[in-house]
Amino acid sequence: MKNKQITIMLITLSFLLILGFSTQVLAGETYKMGLSLAITGPTSDAGSPYSKGAEDYVKYVNDEKLLGDDKLVCFIRDDAYKTEATKRNFEDFLDEGIVFYLNYSTGSTMALKQDFEEEKIPVIPASFHAGNLIDSNYIFLPIASYSSQAVGLAEYVAANHKGSGKAKVAMFLHPSAFGRGPLGDVKKAIDVGLGIELVEVVEHGKDLDNTAMLKRLKSKGVQYVISQTVQPPVATMLKGAQSLGMIASTYGEAGKITFLGCHYAGGPGLIALAGSAAENYYWTTSYKLMTAKGPGTDAQLALAKRYGRDAKLANDSNYTNGIMVVQVAVEAMRRAKAKGKKVTRENLHAEMLAMNGYNAYYPLTTVGPVTFSKDDREGVDTLQLYVAKGGVFYGVGLPFVAEYVQKIK
Amino acid sequence: MSENRWLATGNFFTSYKAEQRIFLTHVDRVVFIGFLVLMFVWPLIFEVGNKYMLVIDSILIAIIAVYGLNLLTGFAGLISIGHAAFVGVGAYTVATFAQILGSNHVLLTHAWPLMIVLAGCVGAIFGAVVGLPALRLKHLYLVIATLSFQMIFQWAINFSKFFDQGQTIAIGRVFWFTGKVVRKEHYLFWYYVILVFVVVLGFAVRNLLRTKHGRCLVAVRDNDRAADAMGMHPGFTKVYAFAVSGFFAGVAGALHAYMWRGVGFESFMLHHSISYLAMAIVGGLGTLMGSFFGPVAILMLDLQVENLAEFVGHYFTALGDVSTAFRPLSFGLVIVLFLMFEPRGIANWWRIIRTYFKLWPFRY
Repeated sequence: MKNKQITIMLITLSFLLILGFSTQVLAGETYKMGLSLAITGPTSDAGSPYSKGAEDYVKYVNDEKLLGDDKLVCFIRDDAYKTEATKRNFEDFLDEGIVFYLNYSTGSTMALKQDFEEEKIPVIPASFHAGNLIDSNYIFLPIASYSSQAVGLAEYVAANHKGSGKAKVAMFLHPSAFGRGPLGDVKKAIDVGLGIELVEVVEHGKDLDNTAMLKRLKSKGVQYVISQTVQPPVATMLKGAQSLGMIASTYGEAGKITFLGCHYAGGPGLIALAGSAAENYYWTTSYKLMTAKGPGTDAQLALAKRYGRDAKLANDSNYTNGIMVVQVAVEAMRRAKAKGKKVTRENLHAEMLAMNGYNAYYPLTTVGPVTFSKDDREGVDTLQLYVAKGGVFYGVGLPFVAEYVQKIK
Repeated sequence: MSENRWLATGNFFTSYKAEQRIFLTHVDRVVFIGFLVLMFVWPLIFEVGNKYMLVIDSILIAIIAVYGLNLLTGFAGLISIGHAAFVGVGAYTVATFAQILGSNHVLLTHAWPLMIVLAGCVGAIFGAVVGLPALRLKHLYLVIATLSFQMIFQWAINFSKFFDQGQTIAIGRVFWFTGKVVRKEHYLFWYYVILVFVVVLGFAVRNLLRTKHGRCLVAVRDNDRAADAMGMHPGFTKVYAFAVSGFFAGVAGALHAYMWRGVGFESFMLHHSISYLAMAIVGGLGTLMGSFFGPVAILMLDLQVENLAEFVGHYFTALGDVSTAFRPLSFGLVIVLFLMFEPRGIANWWRIIRTYFKLWPFRY
């Protein structure tokens, strides 16, 4: 009797063990990604929603089984905008065996470029600095570069300037590689015929009052200010301009200044910071905004709601940004799997490069398709101009491509 | 000194020579050799991920930098809050060669020990120049002079096109007798290189303090007029203290450049200078052992605070600004607490432990 009981127990245990192992086999593979970004410290106002976007979309991929039985893991670490911490995180991710890497700042992307080349790992940074692509084969910009954005805004200024003569423009830059990135290309575009006059370039500090700078710009006859920085300094400048009565109430209003900005220098977060001073602020990005209702924006709101995010985060352009980069990485994985290839760094890199023509990727979160090739690693080439009216950004015209960017290449 | 150098229980010296020994007892020597062997052997036994090797290498580099700061502030009594700039001078010496000759030039990749020493010499020259105000200035005024150097350094790099306005300048992979040091071996290789520098420069500091030049530092710190009256040259002593400190910082900077494989100015900012000072204070000013304890304590604390800030920032989004403030807050708190309750630093705890074992089992 006792032997019989033992035999039954052994059979049951064996069955459970076999079941356990087979479940593991059925569970599929796990693909690992890493994301190092500024959740705290400088620019965390952009980094924090960015991380939430990436985190939510990874959850969504696994919950909805977008990769079939395979699982996606994304390690998200804070680097506080410090290159040394980014490098430490990257080394940690490599030890974990990641196949795709998402980076953040311009400085760290430039600093780790040689590591990416050696590791042959595809990388999408949150930095859209065109210099990231120089001497690199593995860095992919998700959307149009800062240069494309700044040149695109300058083109808009030149085409829509109402006064006589060339439009007088100043650039308001972050004092770093991130801020200075597009300056050289704007100057080149002017050299080859872009019809604006660059009167002054300002690298801002941590000033809480820009009166002196604004008055100086005014005295030099500046009509337009193009910003390439993050939201807080722009908000400070706009508030200062508002108190001095300098903000144009309509585009190009005579005697006033029209303020414009690139991706990180605008968005709903800017309105939250600057309030009514952000009225008539012109902003460009390749991302769709929540105000432009459609399938992409609806999906974003649903995603945020699904994972318990508040309305502020759900509408943040950097939340979109975080979603989009994971979307691209997952699409590359999905395509590699569909071709029966293993999801490796090499195959993902090949799939990224093949994302063009009929194989272009439409993530719905952007105003155009994501296209990459060996010669072009800027994802979404098209830009959309938005203007703040009544505390909300609305689209102005149709998506466009900066023409002078091609001319100066 | 006691007759039996194995069982010395007190400091009983019978000659000045005995007092100047590097190791006071044979036990000290054996323990040191054992520790050294352990430091060289452990990486071969335990496999450590690159992330942690990177942290360990960084700690060792900080030890070299703090040697210099401890000589200057701890032994010579000259407070400097521009030490990171001196480290930066060393790193940018290597970067200058990389910019002119290319990051993979043979001078950088093959003659790297020479480059490291050269960077130390350039650091020494800068140290001597910055030290000139020390001939006239003291205390807070001297602090401001070193702060000025820090600011000038930051400004010069940030606006210099030659240095890519502070963006990272790449440094190529070095060669060893076995060939190119590839990525897989990189951190382990530099661990050993930096460790050798730590040991050699540690002995250099110990020996310097045994010479008349080292004693001059302490004499000038305690009372420069008295030192002058006794035939020492306080001005020269202060300037060479800055020069020697600059040399150590320069070597640390060059090692930093090679280990990180790049030089970017954000590694040599004012808050790094404050960190070095914190390391020296927490470790124990005016003690060689303090130069080891300080960097370990501060960099490990930094890592833990970073993890805490990340946790808070990630899960409590509304507290983002609070989590950002954790690092400076913890830094300030640690410095203040040490200054209040243990001004002699962790080195004093080490002294207490050593004394306990020296007298053991007769503790009273």
